[in-house]
Amino acid sequence: MRAPGPSFPRVVHAEWTKLLGLRSTHVVVVATVGLVGFLTHLSSSASAGDPGFVPTRGLADVLPLAFLGVLVLGVVVGAGEHSTGTFRSTFAAVPQRIPVLLAQAVVTAAVALWTGVLSVAAAVLGILPAAASREMTPDLATAGVPGLLLGSGGFLVGAGLLGLAFGALLRRPVPALVAAVVLFLVAPVVLSIAADTGDDPVAVHDPEDPPAATAVVNTVESFTPVGAGAVLTNPGGGGLDGAPDLGAAGSALVLGCWVAVPLTVAAVRLRRRDLV
Amino acid sequence: MTAARVVAAEWTKLASLSSTTWLTAGTVCAAAVLAFVLGLFAGPGDAVSASSLASSGYLLAQLGPLVLGVLVGSTDFTVGTSLTTYAAVPRRIPVLLAQVVLTTALTLVTGVAAISVSLAATAGARRTAGLSWTLSSPSDLRTAVGYVLFLAGAGVCGVLLGSLLRRPLAALATAVALFVLLDQVLATHPGHVVDTVRALLPSSGTRMFADEARLSALGAGHGPHLGVGGGGLVLAAWCVALTALAGFRLVRRDVS
Repeated sequence: MRAPGPSFPRVVHAEWTKLLGLRSTHVVVVATVGLVGFLTHLSSSASAGDPGFVPTRGLADVLPLAFLGVLVLGVVVGAGEHSTGTFRSTFAAVPQRIPVLLAQAVVTAAVALWTGVLSVAAAVLGILPAAASREMTPDLATAGVPGLLLGSGGFLVGAGLLGLAFGALLRRPVPALVAAVVLFLVAPVVLSIAADTGDDPVAVHDPEDPPAATAVVNTVESFTPVGAGAVLTNPGGGGLDGAPDLGAAGSALVLGCWVAVPLTVAAVRLRRRDLV
Repeated sequence: MTAARVVAAEWTKLASLSSTTWLTAGTVCAAAVLAFVLGLFAGPGDAVSASSLASSGYLLAQLGPLVLGVLVGSTDFTVGTSLTTYAAVPRRIPVLLAQVVLTTALTLVTGVAAISVSLAATAGARRTAGLSWTLSSPSDLRTAVGYVLFLAGAGVCGVLLGSLLRRPLAALATAVALFVLLDQVLATHPGHVVDTVRALLPSSGTRMFADEARLSALGAGHGPHLGVGGGGLVLAAWCVALTALAGFRLVRRDVS
């Protein structure tokens, strides 16, 4: 006979019901998959006329930016209960509290993975018309493509979990989303502007020996979630100039740390501090 | 129930939230700090102008008016006070217009403060890079005014999205996609269709404060040649279209 009370599978089941019961979850998945398919189609059709057109190259155009949906989803899972007040019943039912956070991580990762799989399929469908117009068959077994598809799915899972961690840490959806947007969308542009500003536009640098400022900026960038995501979604592209080449495994580790650190702090806050 | 009273009531709501103060101060600080930090990278002979240095803080600063607007437009619906508000103003539209007017005014003031502080913060970088900025130069004045107008446009779009979608997170995610994300996705793959779509996004409003180098780079693309005024008109058209959508939902659908 099963012991009464909230076993971990039951907590996961409860979180799963809550997540799938929200209309926003379905909207996010459908919108992400639809936009990835449409924008991939748009950009690969735009380049279909180029002489050296390779259909599978279009796969990497939009996939790296499909994270916004799952990021919002993660924030909703992490902060939603605190803003609606249902956290009272949730944590009365699971007084240890930590299992709830872990269960939320499990269900967010599952939905993000599912979104990733569907988005990858949508991106593959998106390049087919452009490939057909040139009478080419995209070769998905070419070197790099399986890694790209795997990395894209992994990046989406990382983004969803990071959203969850920020949401659980800050407990308020809007500040959590703003923090995540700054990290994911503003920081990369700022770093690339910093690298461009400090660069003489006329000078040609040896990629092996870039100026010190560029090397510093690029090193910082390869340790941001987006820098790690860029390596994951473009395997074999090599590191940025002057930055250590972390490789796919190293970048996955960087992304993992970006998830683990705020999630751990959120767990400590959940365990030690009052819920209000 | 006069228009002035509706504006006064909305102002009381807006001014009594601590988030308003924090967002306004945060926008000014974020703009100035980012402009200052990016200015540290500038040296003589680099591809920067005094205007692009001062306005580079917009990357962070635009989030302030967006969040402020979204909160103004959606808070009534999330906390449930919409019932009281629209019982008091049954014609409903005056409330939306009052929110738009107040957010415009507040973001204009914030924008003027942000560009002034950013200009002060980049004074050292201008000296290092050998650039100058004067209010009497028409192009410098144009970028400063454009910067302020862009922030105000972002605030207005935020209010309208917040009122249209009624949920802060959904509205903010949509706003971020329209102002930041889609532009970044499409920029990686220039082409006729892609550049046209890109030019019609609200982020086209950044042309209002783009310096000559960036404008000519944009003009060399495959999309429509909008120029400074065209970019502003695209942002204004988004505001008008969103006003129509938000107004329609507010008048024709239930408020709950």
